[in-house]
Amino acid sequence: MRETAYPMLPTALDTDAMVEPAALSPAEPPAARWRRVLPWALLVLLLGVAQTLLFVLTLQYERDREQERTELTAASAAADVRQRFAHDLQSLQALLWNEPGVDAGRADAAELLRARRELLRIEWRDAGQRIEQALESPYRGPLYDLLPREALDGDTEAACAAALRQTGPVWSRSYFVPKLGGLGIEVIDVCLPIGRGGSLRGVMAATLALGAVIDEAVGADTARTHELSFVEGDGTRLARAGMSRGAGVYVAERLVDLPGVTLALRVDSAERGPRFIPNLATSLVLGLSLALAAVVALLAVDVRRRAAAEARLAEELALRRAMEDSLVTGLRARDLAGRITYVNPAFCTMVGFSAEQLIGRTVPPYWPPEMRSAYEARHAQRLARGVPAHEQREGHETVFMRAGGERFPVLIFEAPLIGAAGRQTGWMSAVLDLSAQRRVEELSRLQQEQLQATARLATVGEMASLLSHELNQPLAAIASYATGSLNLIGGDRADAPTLAMLREATQRIAEQAARAGRVIKSVQDFVRRRERHREVVGCDELVDAVLPLLRLQARKSGTRIDLRLDDPAPRALCDRTMVEQVLLNLTRNAIQAMDGQPPEARVLEIAVRGSGGWVRVDVADRGPGIAPEVAARLFTPFFTTKPEGMGLGLSLCRTVIEQHGGALDFENLRDAAGRVLGTRFRFTLPEAAASAAPTVAEEAAA
Amino acid sequence: MNHTAPLGLPVVHLVDDEAVVREALGWLLRTRRLLSEPHASGEAFEAWLAAHAAVLEGAPSCLLLDMRMPGGMSGLQLFERLIERRLLDVLPVIFLSGHGDVATAVAAIQRGAFDFVEKPFSDNALVDRIERALAASRVALERRRERAALRERLAELTEREREVMQLVVDGRPNKLIADALAISVRTVEVHRARVFEKMGVKSAVELANVLREA
Repeated sequence: MRETAYPMLPTALDTDAMVEPAALSPAEPPAARWRRVLPWALLVLLLGVAQTLLFVLTLQYERDREQERTELTAASAAADVRQRFAHDLQSLQALLWNEPGVDAGRADAAELLRARRELLRIEWRDAGQRIEQALESPYRGPLYDLLPREALDGDTEAACAAALRQTGPVWSRSYFVPKLGGLGIEVIDVCLPIGRGGSLRGVMAATLALGAVIDEAVGADTARTHELSFVEGDGTRLARAGMSRGAGVYVAERLVDLPGVTLALRVDSAERGPRFIPNLATSLVLGLSLALAAVVALLAVDVRRRAAAEARLAEELALRRAMEDSLVTGLRARDLAGRITYVNPAFCTMVGFSAEQLIGRTVPPYWPPEMRSAYEARHAQRLARGVPAHEQREGHETVFMRAGGERFPVLIFEAPLIGAAGRQTGWMSAVLDLSAQRRVEELSRLQQEQLQATARLATVGEMASLLSHELNQPLAAIASYATGSLNLIGGDRADAPTLAMLREATQRIAEQAARAGRVIKSVQDFVRRRERHREVVGCDELVDAVLPLLRLQARKSGTRIDLRLDDPAPRALCDRTMVEQVLLNLTRNAIQAMDGQPPEARVLEIAVRGSGGWVRVDVADRGPGIAPEVAARLFTPFFTTKPEGMGLGLSLCRTVIEQHGGALDFENLRDAAGRVLGTRFRFTLPEAAASAAPTVAEEAAA
Repeated sequence: MNHTAPLGLPVVHLVDDEAVVREALGWLLRTRRLLSEPHASGEAFEAWLAAHAAVLEGAPSCLLLDMRMPGGMSGLQLFERLIERRLLDVLPVIFLSGHGDVATAVAAIQRGAFDFVEKPFSDNALVDRIERALAASRVALERRRERAALRERLAELTEREREVMQLVVDGRPNKLIADALAISVRTVEVHRARVFEKMGVKSAVELANVLREA
């Protein structure tokens, strides 16, 4: 549905987006929300309208059908009633043919009364309307028991009079015959003129119970489901029949025309109004089916769009993954608690652990154990203050450990990981393996050093060659004279020429020895000439000059440098280059002395203190110490314990320091139990008087 | 030239740019009763050689040669000249080297130098080597003289005598030699006797040996 709902890939990079997709909606503009909600609202509204309409139509349909049925019933009932009246009239007319005797007629009439239950009474009247005879239905008691016949004769008389006038049967208006107990019967009379030889001799009046007429005329089925009644124009019910009360919902009226009177027959179906629940259920089912169909259609559309979006997403994801996998830069994501939430393959390759081994760890296995506390402190600091801007830009260097235990330098660029909700959810780091770069640096440094060493060696070699040649000549001569002298003395000839030869030889020996001495002196002169290069140097400058080289070496071996420098730094009067060389030599030796130690034990301490006119520089390692047999020859020229060493380092160092008037010595550091903790080399240099050469800072202060 | 005259006293030639070394060595050799002839450079020695070529034939000698002499002909260059002039047998060369250029010295030994000594040297040992070199020089000189004498005797033979001698050395009997040269056996015998006499030998086997040496 929402094609814009994927601003970020739901990879492990962004755990937030995965677990809280709902968090996306607050970011949506209102218009978009409306656009999304409106179809649904319309759909619901439409569904409601349709549902209601459907319901109403269903009710209407049922009502119409029922009404129609009632109308039909009414029509047929009216026909039946009409027919019944007609039959009754016929049967009554048939009585009139029984001439002349009334008695015979009486018998027929009695039979008729027995056959037709609606007939209540048959009267024979004379022309003056006097009742001659009357017969009552055998099924009931006397009709006029409460009131006399005369009291209710008005309508009958009028009808009979009309019948005599018209010489045809005439129906009277219906009237009520009260009975005991407040009951009564609505009856109707029919008057038939009795003709005799062309003259009227009287009328026969038959009384019919209207209710019974209906009962007899209408079938049981109709009577069971309908209430049938004759009503007056104003709706007053005159007589009713049927087995049940009408519900008053479906009512139909039909007129039954009789000569002289018109009766209205009302049919009231027992059927109640359409019931709510079944209709509602029906319409609901219908409506819901419709809605379901609509929803299914919508769903199908949605599924198609979603599938398309998913395909795009999968493609995008594959592209991103390919990009991630092809990166040589290691990527690592951590949550705010420092737990690793994501690493890319390059990172895994770099540290040699699989992603499963890393994800979820707070203390990752690639942290060297000796650095762990420092890293944890760092993380806490980052949580408190965030990543400094310059570090985000330039990254920071640190040391990781591979699965095999090898330490290697890395450059880390760290940036806060902002989740989709705009909150920071962790840290994203790009990690570069610097070991290759370091190797190159190291190699170039080594080459540089080798070059320098070679250059120095060449100088030394050349000088040695020159010296040996210069010294060889007098020595060779001396040796020759000495040997020759021995030859002569061995000959035991103490004659004058031999003595002269010996004298000459001795004289030559002395000459040549003096010559050799001159050679040596010239070398000393050369060395002494350097003493003129003395200057006042701040010890911090001295240390700063060697630190870069030192750090390079220290990083390679994992050595920690512990530097303690008096503040303000003492200043020494010295040949800067030479003293730097001494410092470099001592520190290098110290680092090399710790090669055999575990990485966490590799600490190089440099302490510089000024006191009593001397600057004291300590360089201490935590190596195995110096064995006594080595210690005895440590400062001897050309003595070395290193396979590639020349053996000049320490002896030169001592010479340099002694030329400055200082001293260079060393001692093995021991703990209380006498175990060797390391070695400390200490040299002293004359401290420059503060007034002799004020530094820039002092000048500024003054 | 008189090849039969006795050989003169052995002479040690010293070629070194350092006068001190030359003097000291010369003095040392004197204490061992050896004559020495100092030369200040390779060029100086060559000049001397040009002037005194015959001296080398007359007395055993050897050459102490400093390998490295700054400015001028180096020891090795002089050595090459001596090889060219086929003088190494009568003038054995002992190199003196002061700077550990052992590889060069070994190469020189392989090319025919007699020995090399590193400075500073143990002097009497050096003198011992010098004496061995002089002895070798003496042997070489004597062999040279013998060969020269032989060549002189061969030069005295006539054409016919040389032909006969060739066939005799090949081991042919007189009769076959007579047939081959179309001369009588008697004539062959005469020639043969004269060859033996001129070459100073007494048998055909001795003659063959003498010729092989030549």
